[in-house]
Amino acid sequence: MENNKNQAYYEGFTKPIIKTGRWTLFLAVALCFLPAIYLWIRYGALPPIGAILTGWFLIASIYGSYYFIEPISFFPILGVAGTYMSFLAGNIGNMRVPCAAVAQEALKVEPGSEKAELVATLGIAGSIITNLIVVTIAAIAGNGLMQLFPPVVIKAFEFVLPAIFGSMFAMFAVKYPKYGAFAIGLTLFLLGVVKVLPVYILIPVCVFSTIIFATTSYKKKAKQQ
Amino acid sequence: MKEYLKVANDPMLWLMCLPVVAVVGIQAIIFSKKAFASANSVQLTKKEAKDAFRIGAISAIGPAVAVFVVMLGMMAVIGAPMTWLRLSIIGSAPAELAASTMGAKAMGVEFGGEGYGVIEYANSVWAMTLNGIGWLLFCGLFTHKLDGLRNKISKGDSKLTGEIGGAAMLGAMAYLVGGHLIAGSGNLVAALVAGIAMILLGKLAEKLPKLAEYNLGIAMVIGMVAAVLYVG
Repeated sequence: MENNKNQAYYEGFTKPIIKTGRWTLFLAVALCFLPAIYLWIRYGALPPIGAILTGWFLIASIYGSYYFIEPISFFPILGVAGTYMSFLAGNIGNMRVPCAAVAQEALKVEPGSEKAELVATLGIAGSIITNLIVVTIAAIAGNGLMQLFPPVVIKAFEFVLPAIFGSMFAMFAVKYPKYGAFAIGLTLFLLGVVKVLPVYILIPVCVFSTIIFATTSYKKKAKQQ
Repeated sequence: MKEYLKVANDPMLWLMCLPVVAVVGIQAIIFSKKAFASANSVQLTKKEAKDAFRIGAISAIGPAVAVFVVMLGMMAVIGAPMTWLRLSIIGSAPAELAASTMGAKAMGVEFGGEGYGVIEYANSVWAMTLNGIGWLLFCGLFTHKLDGLRNKISKGDSKLTGEIGGAAMLGAMAYLVGGHLIAGSGNLVAALVAGIAMILLGKLAEKLPKLAEYNLGIAMVIGMVAAVLYVG
């Protein structure tokens, strides 16, 4: 029975999501080139191929490892649908993940369940629509609107990231105190004492060490029972 | 205004950026529809499904306004249409500005400096574009494979999947907050105060369940206010 239900969920949700996720991502890849092609056709501004490749090489040497490390590291949090949406729309750690988590928390779904995945999908979709609206307003009317914000509000937004990350960490540390202590201890050790590891190693080390720690203690507990 | 910025704010360029922004919105709508259609099979009521969408939309306001503030600086150097496209999809202001700088460097000039004209700007656009597609291609090609991998590790044990998700979240957030804790000053205050506020709000939400959906927003604002008060 349980298996049948899983199969129905897979056929009804996961499979069509994979199909849609793939074509939307590949379509976005193609459409991303429109501005560059327009600059070429309208203004004849096509840089020499060598310069394009050099620019690509330079930026990929900074970000190239993130192309696969971020999706792999965030996958256990986001799931299939969440990964397709979050890696198209961006703002993962500061917006998609928190919005999915808040929706799950407010609706009290069981972590890891299919229901939890649907709630996360909807929460992320809602956050994407908000983001598109805000970004569009900012692009069209941003400079005018900016004057409406008092300087102290602008100043406060310098601290939005530590505030989001701090509260998200606390929200989950309450649920899994042991994993939280392990994760923050490891991170502070790596960042404050070891110091030399590059970011593209730090992220997966923090995520997967905590996963391994959790899986091991979960299995130990299961054995004792 | 610099010469290239006239090109960078060409009205037609908006139209060229629109399709990508539209795909992001369309994908979110299709996924929501599919989630609604499958809701019954996992005992998710229509009301809960609507609530999930609404909570996500509301919770995003704070972080989105933060993106808004960053955008303005970016618009001044790469023009409004490209800023609109780049910040509607994967990437971030630092990544796009780094890509623009590398595009300029590859043309032998400083980004936005002497000799940075239309063709140099075009090379910055190429660099941003090629950098951004890295994530899209990887996820388009391999996301479904990652799912197989996850099922193999948890062997369909949804409780273990949940524990793994929680652990991954703590690992990722510990990494993200760690730098701010070490940076000290306002960043440390913002992270600590927001974290403590979140714990207290979580306790409060046990009595007032309605509060849970606003917890993140409230904790965030409390952390930000504390940091501003601290740095003066």
